[in-house]
Amino acid sequence: MQPDAKLTFLDRFSALRETQFGTFVPVLLALAAIWGYFGLVLPFIDLISGQADSFRAIFLSPRNIYNLFMQSAVIATLAVGITIVLLLGDIDLSAAATAGVCAALLGVLVLSGVPGWPACIIVIFVGIIMGAAQGLLVAYVGIPSFVVTLAGLLGYQGLMQKILPTGNLNVGDPFVRGIARVLIPDLWGIVLGLAVVGLFAYANLRKQARRKALGLELDSALALWGQVIAFTVIVVAVVLTLNAYRSLPLLLVLLVAITALLGWITTSTPYGRSLFAVGGNAESARRVGMKVKRIRVSAFAIVGLMAAIGGIFGASRYGSVSYTAFAGGSLLLEAIGAAVIGGTSLFGGRGSVWNAILGALVIGSLGNGLDLTGASAADKLMVSGAILLLAVAIDALSRPSNGSGR
Amino acid sequence: MTSENKVVGQAAPPAHLAVRGIHKRFGGVHALRGVDFEVARGEVMALVGDNGAGKSTLMKVLAGAHLADDGAFFLDGKPAEVTSPNDASELGIQIVYQDLALCENLDVSANLSLGSEPVKPGWSFLPRLLRPLDDLEMEVKAKKAIDRLEVRTLQSVRAKVGGLSGGQRQAIAIARAVGAESTVVMLDEPTAALGVAQTRQVLEVVKRLRETNHAVVYISHNMRDIFEVSDRITVLRHGTNVATYTTSETNPDEIVVAMTRGLDTENGNAA
Repeated sequence: MQPDAKLTFLDRFSALRETQFGTFVPVLLALAAIWGYFGLVLPFIDLISGQADSFRAIFLSPRNIYNLFMQSAVIATLAVGITIVLLLGDIDLSAAATAGVCAALLGVLVLSGVPGWPACIIVIFVGIIMGAAQGLLVAYVGIPSFVVTLAGLLGYQGLMQKILPTGNLNVGDPFVRGIARVLIPDLWGIVLGLAVVGLFAYANLRKQARRKALGLELDSALALWGQVIAFTVIVVAVVLTLNAYRSLPLLLVLLVAITALLGWITTSTPYGRSLFAVGGNAESARRVGMKVKRIRVSAFAIVGLMAAIGGIFGASRYGSVSYTAFAGGSLLLEAIGAAVIGGTSLFGGRGSVWNAILGALVIGSLGNGLDLTGASAADKLMVSGAILLLAVAIDALSRPSNGSGR
Repeated sequence: MTSENKVVGQAAPPAHLAVRGIHKRFGGVHALRGVDFEVARGEVMALVGDNGAGKSTLMKVLAGAHLADDGAFFLDGKPAEVTSPNDASELGIQIVYQDLALCENLDVSANLSLGSEPVKPGWSFLPRLLRPLDDLEMEVKAKKAIDRLEVRTLQSVRAKVGGLSGGQRQAIAIARAVGAESTVVMLDEPTAALGVAQTRQVLEVVKRLRETNHAVVYISHNMRDIFEVSDRITVLRHGTNVATYTTSETNPDEIVVAMTRGLDTENGNAA
């Protein structure tokens, strides 16, 4: 009896994950569980045990949510990039080191008098080249991406130390600092949010109307409206919460815009389709005439691009560049963890950049919540490890079970 | 060079695709030694031979995956050049490999359009790779292709290929080959890994291809399938033609003997 029931549950679970919106369900559940635990359960326990004299939901306060989003932003930026190579079934271990090199270079350029925005453009260009160079080695020399990017990790860590012999540099350029400091006025934030919601609803309804006109099978009304309403609630809630503390920061708007662009490219263009095809069956992609090697190189270039942007975001948020914040710290594992926790498969061919953002929020929330409860760094590492393991286990269990995937 | 087959005479239909005197060497191995082969439209031509007879090599030469060392191609009687897979597909020659080469993580419609995805008009300022996909057009095309082959068991063109049965996958691989404006469809052991019901489904699809006036090349070891579905049978042995038979005028035993022993001394084969 019991194993049978379990099997059908798993089957249902994998079936759920195959649907368009279903890929978000596990990571959203994880996020809800973490927020519920830190935001509601822990304060409640404190109240009951008399450690606190009133119910104080510090974790869910607008101030903490704001900090949480900003803390997760750099992880999310890298995770979005890493998702692109994960879709191909490759991995990039050098993303954080690339971000470190780019941030260090940005600091040095700004210090030597280069204005902020050309410095950012140079740094983005350098990031793309650093990523593409690794991609060339993977695609044309045929070295596994794990090895190439492991070498890249070591090499770029060294390079960062060369650029920053002191290991630390303050960045005071107003343009660079502005990315994290500029806030969108409350009203404009709401207008922007509503515009995005309207666009989303319009695109979905229009697609449904075209489906009807072409005589194709329709999405169920429940799925359609559920999708629109869920999206609306999330966007409005985020904007209002951020407005309740400060306002919508420019950094987050940029991050969402870049992710939306990459999300659109991966799901709605022939290039994006080829990413999924190569990740699903590279031989098949080659036979239908896709340029598999060039696609690989371009994917690694995109990781380099996102790493550079992550470096700029980091430098902007911290106001400084340090070795430990990027190349030497836990950023890499957090970013890969975020992508995988979000539901992107390590086996290639399945995933989404939006999931990476949610995964980054899971990692960020864990760190933030454990910090608030006064947990040690050791506890944080162990809990993060357990969550990552759980995410990969879910990935492995919800794959097609007959092993025909490869 | 001509080894006009002894069994099929004037009754043979006019060839759509024909090759004459194909030679292919791999280093010291002389895999094809002057093979002739032809297939007409609206015909299923079975290609049989023991392991190592050169079936797969011949098929890859026809598909442009291997370059023949010597020999000539004719399409509707006119000489043609096939030096790459792209040449072959431009001539309308499509191949369905044994491993199908489907992307299991994508849905049926995405697989059917793979590599030639339709894009929405009006975005010409973007490179083609970055223009928006017209996924509804893709579904319409997929539905047409599936309907043409009468694959009735398939519920939705939005189903992921990873969740389909072996027969359905084979049908989708065939539909992909047919969808690309092809006139010649080559099937490599399409029923090798399938059960009885699945095999039936695939054979029905092959018959539909004949009805839609495609030239079908059917490679198989399974005599029962061959006799059910083919019109003519070309037998290869040691990289040369043994003979071409009309299916209705021969029997499995004769074919097996031809495959394993050739025609002994009665017929000389072109070398």
